[in-house]
Amino acid sequence: MTALTPRTATWRRLWAVSLIGLGLGLAVVEAHAGETLARVQTLRLLRCGVSDGRIGFSYQDAKGRWAGLDVDFCRAVAAAAVGDADRVRFSSLITTARFPALRSNEIDVLARNTSWTIRREAGLGLQFAGVLYYDGQSFMVRRKGGAQSLAGLKGAKICVVRTTTTEQNLADYFNSRGWKYQAVVVESLDEAAKAFFAGRCVAHTADRSALAAARLNAPGGPGGYIILAGQISKEPLGPVVKRGDEEWLTLLRWTLFATIEAEEQGVTSKNISVKASEKQDVKLMRFLDANGDFAKLLGVKPGWVIRVLTAVGNYGEMFERNLGRGSALKLDRGPNRLWTQGGLMYSPPFQ
Amino acid sequence: MTDFQIIVTVVVAVSLVVVLIFDWLDMTVAGLLAVIVLIVFDILSRQDVLSVVDAGGGVLALLLGGMVVARTLVPTGIFDYVGVRFLVLTRGSGKRFLLGLILLIAPVCAFLPNATAVLLLAPVILRVAMALNIDFVGPMILTAIISNSAGMLTLVGDPATFIVGSAMNMTFVEFIRRVSLGGLLTVLVLIPLLPRLMRDTWNVQRDLPADLAPPRLKEPVLGAFALLLLGSMILLFLFGEDLPTRIVPPAVSIIACAVALLIVYAVKVEPVQKVLADIDWKTLIFITSMFVLVQALIKAGFMQTAGNGLYEQFGVNRLGVAFTLLFGIGLLSGVLPNIPLVAASTLMIKGYLVTAQLVPEEALGVGFDTWPITTLPVFVAMMFGGTLGGNATLIGASANIVSGGICAAHGKPVRFVAFLRYGVPVTLAQITIGAIYVLALYYLI
Repeated sequence: MTALTPRTATWRRLWAVSLIGLGLGLAVVEAHAGETLARVQTLRLLRCGVSDGRIGFSYQDAKGRWAGLDVDFCRAVAAAAVGDADRVRFSSLITTARFPALRSNEIDVLARNTSWTIRREAGLGLQFAGVLYYDGQSFMVRRKGGAQSLAGLKGAKICVVRTTTTEQNLADYFNSRGWKYQAVVVESLDEAAKAFFAGRCVAHTADRSALAAARLNAPGGPGGYIILAGQISKEPLGPVVKRGDEEWLTLLRWTLFATIEAEEQGVTSKNISVKASEKQDVKLMRFLDANGDFAKLLGVKPGWVIRVLTAVGNYGEMFERNLGRGSALKLDRGPNRLWTQGGLMYSPPFQ
Repeated sequence: MTDFQIIVTVVVAVSLVVVLIFDWLDMTVAGLLAVIVLIVFDILSRQDVLSVVDAGGGVLALLLGGMVVARTLVPTGIFDYVGVRFLVLTRGSGKRFLLGLILLIAPVCAFLPNATAVLLLAPVILRVAMALNIDFVGPMILTAIISNSAGMLTLVGDPATFIVGSAMNMTFVEFIRRVSLGGLLTVLVLIPLLPRLMRDTWNVQRDLPADLAPPRLKEPVLGAFALLLLGSMILLFLFGEDLPTRIVPPAVSIIACAVALLIVYAVKVEPVQKVLADIDWKTLIFITSMFVLVQALIKAGFMQTAGNGLYEQFGVNRLGVAFTLLFGIGLLSGVLPNIPLVAASTLMIKGYLVTAQLVPEEALGVGFDTWPITTLPVFVAMMFGGTLGGNATLIGASANIVSGGICAAHGKPVRFVAFLRYGVPVTLAQITIGAIYVLALYYLI
């Protein structure tokens, strides 16, 4: 190397100082509590990945408005995070595109009737915020001439969606019993239902809630088809986030718990304003976060519980509106009842 | 990011490239200004800074270590010694010099980090070029191009190659069996191009002095320690990751850097401060700036959009996707650092393969190791694009920037357009070879 002139040496020192300055400049870039929450709050927009149309969970009505349990959850999160339940952009995702969309930050949360499994959580770098709906896989058959029990499906042609836990559960259940079956593998629930109703298979297997939704559109009406008793899998469906942003996961988890706790404490979207004024009820006031203590911990504006409940109501209201008696599906609460009523829905304490 | 921030990011990226193409501003100053704009508009978060460190820290560590070790060797006269040996082998022929560069650099860069190898070999090349009385800019650019091209010879030849190969759990031997031939062809394609691209150098024939003999090595103690260090560094590059305590190449480089400075301090041939003053900080700043810019572009969501577009456009047509990646990433690698680009593209392509149901959803995780062989052309296309696309421009690869920095330090700054004269024809030829290879893989496996 050539000898340095004093001028060159000065420039090199200057560049070295600049490199240090660049490092320091980048290092002092503002630290946010949670990357996703910060982005959602900055943009005042939650990007929510939902299904490509599943009644009860996420679908667009005739006027193009999104509705369903998953949709309500996203609206609840938006109410908590940005103060407005309408600040949600729903992305309709086909089954195979849901995890890539989440992994590539295309969406902030995936609320798309997705089963919580160890393979997904440990293997895909994802985290489930909780269980929004306890579902289970079953079979729909024709009322006339169809199988009357699961054993009656031996050797049957069964319509199933590709690359889902449903497909794997079907194989596991039949193979473990030495039963033969012929899978008619299709790309989506919609295709599976069409194939079943068209007679390409004698049974359609999916989550019970999905079968109930498909039955609504059955040719000749839903009465011609039954969903067999019993289920072959546990399908705890819940919202999913990308691993690595614990603050965001915590907010989603406690938004879900808030709806469950509200039902337990008898707080609804209709009585929330009255309940919020009952200052003497210490436990209720603590749950509603009247002091804003939990809001500070979660990184959201005070009043977040009230905003959530005003927007979507408690868990029971969400269930009945989308899946239960108030919906077309008319599903029983089953394991989705509160723990106090023999169900599995349980919120840790708001303390 | 808000729409406004996305617009700012795009404007900054395009402006930077335009400024560099027309040489309106010193490239490092331009890079720093770009980063400042990104900071002022709150485009970078703490997580982005960590991502930049994650993606670029290794490259910067490799460069800093290589620069310090190479600089430590200068007082020993070893570069003069090897330079004269090389000069003798050229027999005064420019043609033998250029072909010798390929023979010298390609095997070295198949195993060692490109920019580090360029840093270590540059003093030798400069001496030979000066002795042959030819312009050293062309050979230095060729050195960078060969080093980048050789990155496709082995799995560890280039960080971009390694990232893609690791993404599909390809072993060193598998790489040699399925990909190295393509890499070799892209190196060999340089030979017929040289007489046209470097006609002046190719046709040179000088008479060398009959009594040309290598000079004696100076500072034997420093030389012995420095060469021992260099040997250990190379061994650790090759085998460090197999040790019980895994030492990755950037860590090897930083260790070597620290030991080199300790040797300089102990033997007292020259002050440590003088060695550090000779480091090409300007190049390090520019490369850091480019990593920051790429992070901002990734954050803006362009890669995700591209991933969705692939499925919508091509469905399960792997060949269409492979060619799009080859040319698209090749083009982008020409103006952006390929390492973060390829890392982001790997995630994107995994997403595409899952969406297209060519692999199960488990492929998105790190533990998936049963990639169907049918996905190989897609990954290999990414490797070719990411590794060879950087040959096109001065800023396309760290080895190019380092070469340019060395030329500038010796009084001949390389203009962006001057590099294009060599880079574009080479890249076009190599990407064409890559396309043929991908096509062959698609139909033959």
